[in-house]
Amino acid sequence: MTRKWYHIAKAEFYVLTSGLRRHRKVTVTIMYVLAAVWAAYFAPMIIGGFLGAIMPMEVMRTLLMVMFPGLMRTVILFLWALLLLFPLSHALQEIKIGQWEIFLSNNVKTRDILAGTFVGKIPMYGLIVMVFAPLLISPFMLAFEVSLIGQALVYTVIALMVLSTIWLSNFITAIIQARLGDSSRGNDIAKALSVVVALIVIIPMYGLMLFMPQLSGILGINAFLVMPFTWPADLVSWVTITFNGIGLTGSQILAFGAILQLDMLTSALLMAAFGLAFVPIAITAADRVFTISAGVRTETVTTVGRENVFLRGIRSFAKGPFGALTIVSLKDFGRKAQNLSKIFYGVVLAIILPMLMQQITIVEGEVFEAAEILPMISIMIGVVGVFPFAGTGFLESKDQLWIIRSAPKGASHFMRARVATGFMMAIPLSLAPTIAMTLMFNLALLSAVQIFCAAYVTVCGAVMVSMGITAQNPNYEDTKSSAHQTVLITSMMLVQFTLIGPLFATIFLDIGLGFNLFRFMESIFGLSGFMVVELVLGPTVLLLVGGLMLHLGIRSLGKVEV
Amino acid sequence: MRNNGISIQTQALNKTFGPVHAVRDLDLEVASGGRFGFLRPNRAGKTTTVRILSGLMKPTSGSASVLGMDILTHAGEIKSLTGLLPETPGLYSKLSAVEFLDFIGALNGLEGPVLDRRIDSLLSMLGLEGRQDDLLDSYSSGMKQKVLVASTLLHEPRLVFLDEPTSRLDPSAGALVKDLILVLAEETETTFFICTHQTSFAEDVCDIVGIINDGSLVIVDSPNGIVESTSAKDLEEAYLKIVGGQVDRDSLLAWR
Amino acid sequence: MAKNDVTIRTQRLNKSFGTVQAVRNLDLDVMAGSRFGFLGPNGAGKTTTVRILSGLLKQTSGYAEVCGLDVNKDRDAVKAVTGLLPETPGLYSKLSAVEFLEFIGALNGRNGSDLHRRIDSLLGILGLEGRQDDLLESYSSGMKQKVLVSSTLLHEPKLVFLDEPTSRLDPSATAIIKDLILVLAEETDTTFFICTHMTGFAEAVCDVIGLLNEGELVTRGSPQELIESAGARNLEDAYLKIVGGKVDREVLLAWR
Repeated sequence: MTRKWYHIAKAEFYVLTSGLRRHRKVTVTIMYVLAAVWAAYFAPMIIGGFLGAIMPMEVMRTLLMVMFPGLMRTVILFLWALLLLFPLSHALQEIKIGQWEIFLSNNVKTRDILAGTFVGKIPMYGLIVMVFAPLLISPFMLAFEVSLIGQALVYTVIALMVLSTIWLSNFITAIIQARLGDSSRGNDIAKALSVVVALIVIIPMYGLMLFMPQLSGILGINAFLVMPFTWPADLVSWVTITFNGIGLTGSQILAFGAILQLDMLTSALLMAAFGLAFVPIAITAADRVFTISAGVRTETVTTVGRENVFLRGIRSFAKGPFGALTIVSLKDFGRKAQNLSKIFYGVVLAIILPMLMQQITIVEGEVFEAAEILPMISIMIGVVGVFPFAGTGFLESKDQLWIIRSAPKGASHFMRARVATGFMMAIPLSLAPTIAMTLMFNLALLSAVQIFCAAYVTVCGAVMVSMGITAQNPNYEDTKSSAHQTVLITSMMLVQFTLIGPLFATIFLDIGLGFNLFRFMESIFGLSGFMVVELVLGPTVLLLVGGLMLHLGIRSLGKVEV
Repeated sequence: MRNNGISIQTQALNKTFGPVHAVRDLDLEVASGGRFGFLRPNRAGKTTTVRILSGLMKPTSGSASVLGMDILTHAGEIKSLTGLLPETPGLYSKLSAVEFLDFIGALNGLEGPVLDRRIDSLLSMLGLEGRQDDLLDSYSSGMKQKVLVASTLLHEPRLVFLDEPTSRLDPSAGALVKDLILVLAEETETTFFICTHQTSFAEDVCDIVGIINDGSLVIVDSPNGIVESTSAKDLEEAYLKIVGGQVDRDSLLAWR
Repeated sequence: MAKNDVTIRTQRLNKSFGTVQAVRNLDLDVMAGSRFGFLGPNGAGKTTTVRILSGLLKQTSGYAEVCGLDVNKDRDAVKAVTGLLPETPGLYSKLSAVEFLEFIGALNGRNGSDLHRRIDSLLGILGLEGRQDDLLESYSSGMKQKVLVSSTLLHEPKLVFLDEPTSRLDPSATAIIKDLILVLAEETDTTFFICTHMTGFAEAVCDVIGLLNEGELVTRGSPQELIESAGARNLEDAYLKIVGGKVDREVLLAWR
C-alpha cells in the first residue's frame, strides 16, 4: 500500500494553499525563507534594540535572572496554549466528518488519517511558531548571551514541543469532532465551543501582558511541575543557563538547579515521555475515535414548548407582523449555542475591563471618578457590542436571503426585527460591566445608572453598525471566510473611530486652528453642562453612524442583483 | 467470483440510535453483477444501511457479509473492494476536480499516468473538461455530483454503493450515469446497490428493487414483478400503494 | 383575472454574468392557471430566469412582465403576488416548522389566527402534524422541502416559482406535491412555473414544457407534442433527443 497519510497531508496542504494555486511551491518556499531570516536575524535585532531602548542590558539581566524560570514557564505556557487550543478552535468552526466518510470508505487506516491530518497541520503552525517564538525567546538569549550551539538546542527543544503539542491537539480535535457529529446541531455546538476555547487562549495572553510578575511568580511554584508545559520550559531554561555567555559560575548554576527542582535530564525525559506517550495512545484510540455515528440529529429531537412570559409580553406589546418577526428572530438567535457563547464572551470581556482599570488605579493611586472614565468605558465597550453581532449568525445560507428578498420589502422588515433583537441582547451586555464596576468600586446608584445608560447606548450603536455592515456583506455561516473577517474588523474600526473621532477632531481643531472647542463649549454650557455634552457626544455620533449603516445595509440586502 | 455468486447477504440486521430504530430485521440477498434498488421514504438515518454494508458503521445486532466477507471481521478488505457515493459528501471545496480525484486515486493506491488518463477520460465523459482545474466550491450541485460519481468509480470497485446518485443531475447526465451503471454491471460484473427516491430511475436501471417501510423490508422483486403484484401501472404507483401517500382532493384545498 | 390571461411574458430577455451568457433572447408566454415546466441541463439558465421573473435579479436587456407588472418597476407588487421556492433549503435550523412559517407569513405582512389556521392545515396535508413543534435541524431533507413548499404557498400567491421542488423527496411526498399543484392550478387559477430535472414529474404535472439549452429556449409545447414531434417514447427520451446526451457503449468503458 502506498503512503496514504502522505496523500491526506498533501490534500490538506493543497486546501491550505488553495489561494496561491499556481505558485504554490514558490510562494511557500519564499515564505519559509523569509520566516527563517526573520527568526535568525531580524527578530533578535529588533528585540535587542527595543530592550536596549527601555533599559540597559545589565538591569535587564538581573531582572530576568530574578524571575527567570517562572518567566520562561509563562512564555512556554503561552506558546503551548496557543498551539493546543488555536488549532482546536479553528477546526471546530467547520466539522469535517464528511471527509472522514471519504477516507474510511476508501479503506484508509485510522492511524493514517491521524498522521495525515497531523502532517497537514505542520506547515501552517510551524510558520506561526517561527514568527512568534523568536520574539518570546530572544530576550533570554540576548540577556544570557547564549552560544550558537545553545540557541540551536533551545530551538530544537521548542520544535519538539511544537510537534508533540500539535499531535495532541490534533488528537483532541478529532475526538471532539467525532462526539459532535456532522449535523447542524453539532456544528452549532462546535462553533460555540470554538469561541469558548478562543477565550481560554486569550487569558494567558492577558496575563502575559498585564500581570507578568505575578503570573511568573505563580508559575514558578513547584506545584506546576506536574503540568506538561513546564518540562520543555525548564529544559529551555537549563540549556540557556548551561550555554550562557556571561560567565555564570558552577555555584550560580547550582542555585538555579534549586529553583528548577528537576535536573536537565529529568526535564528532558519527562518532556520526551509525554510527547511519545501520546503517539501510541492516539494510534490505539484512533479506531474508536474515527467512527461515523449518526450525528446528533437522529439522536435528539428538540420540541418547542409554549412561549415564555417574556415572549408573550412582546407579542401583546408589539402586535402585527413586526412583533411576530422580532419574536422569531429572538428565538432563532437565542437557540444557537454559538450566539450565546459569543454573548458570554462579550460579558467576560466587559468584566475584564473594570478589572484592568482597577489594576491601573491601584498602581497609580488615583481616586476613581465615574465621569472621568465614562468615555473610556464607552470606547472599550463598543467592542463588546460589535463582537456577537458582526459577521455570522445573521443568515444561514444564500437561499435564506432569496426567501427574504422574495417578500415585499422583506429586507427592511427582516432587518428591523434583527435590530430589535440586538437591542434586547444589549441589555445583559451593558448590565454585566455595570454590576462588576459597581461592586468593585462601591459606586453610588446614580453613577451606576449613568454607567449603564452610557454603556447601553454605546452597545446599541455598535449593534446597529455591525448589523448594517454585516447586511452589506453577508457571509452566512462561515467564520473562516474573508468576508467574516472583513465585516468584523470594519465594524470594530468604525465603532472605535466614531467614539474616539470627536475627541481627535477637537484636538486637531485646537492644534491646527487654535480653536479650543472644549473651552468654547464650556463657556456656553457651563462646566457641568460641558461634561454632559462630552459624555453624550461620542454615543450620539455612534447612533447616527449606526443609523446610516443600517440604512445602507437594508438597501444593499434588499437590492436587486445585477 | 462468478456471476451467480452473492455480493451482499444480511441476516436479521438491526441498527438503533437511542430510541430510533433505523434498520429493522433486514434480510437481504443481492447477486453479484446485480443492480439492487433500495426505495424508502424520507427519514432520518436513511443512509444507515449503506454505511453498515460498506463497513463504516457497526450494526446493533444481526450479521452481514459483503463479497463473501463478514463486515465485522473483514471491514478493511471490504472497503478496498467497494466504492461509496455518500448522500451529503464532504467534498474538499478548496481542491480542484483533478486534485480531488488525484487524492481519491492515491488513497486507493492508484498513481501515475494510468490514474491521470483515467481522470481525464472520466471528466471529459461527464462533460467537465475545461472546468477540471477550477476549485470545487465554484461548481454547481450537479457538477459536484458528477465529480463524486467519478471518484466512486475511479478504482474499479467490485461493489458500488450509490446514495441518491442522480437527484441533482439534469436528464442528460442522469441518462449517462444510468447507461454507465448498466454497461459496468454487464461487462465487468460490478454490483450496484442504489438508494433512490426516483422510481423511474429504479425502474430503468435496477433488476431487483426492495421497498422499505418503517425500517423493514416490505417487498423484494424485479420492478415488473412489483408492478404486476400490486396491479399498478408503474413503479411509482406501486410504491404509493405499498407505502401509502395519496391524499384526497378535498383535504388538499382545506388549508385555504 | 380571466383564465386565458398571460401571467408571464418576456421579450428578448438577456442576462449575462461577465462573459457568461446565462439567458439569451428569451421569449416566453405563460398563461394564467397553467403549469409551466422548465427543463434544461445543469447550468442552462433556469434559476437565473426565475430570479429575474421574481424581481430578485436585474436583466441585462429585454423586457419581462409578471401578472401584468413590469418586473423592473413594480418589484414589491411582483413579490406580493409571487411565491418562490429556492433550489436548496434555506431554513432556519433553530426554528420549529410553525415558527418558520410564522416568520415567512410575517415577512409578507400576515399574522394572527388566520395565518395559524392556514399553517396548521398546510402542515397537516403534507403529513408534518405531530412534528410541527420540533426544530427544523432534526428534519430530514424531504421534510424540510415540504416546509419550504408550504412557505411559498402561505400568502396565496397568484404565481409560484418552484426550483427543483422534488429532487429530495420520496415518491409519496412527490405525489402529494404533484396533486397539490394540480388541484391549486385548477381550482384557484394559480400559475406554476416549475424548474425540474425530473422528466417524469414534468410529464405528469405540467401542461406546457419549455426546454432551455445554453440560455436559449429550444422548444416549447405540451409534453405530448414534444414527445410526438421528437418521435420519442416519453419525455425523457424526447429531452435526450433534443438536447443530446446519449453516449455509446465504447466511450462509457474507455476510461478503464
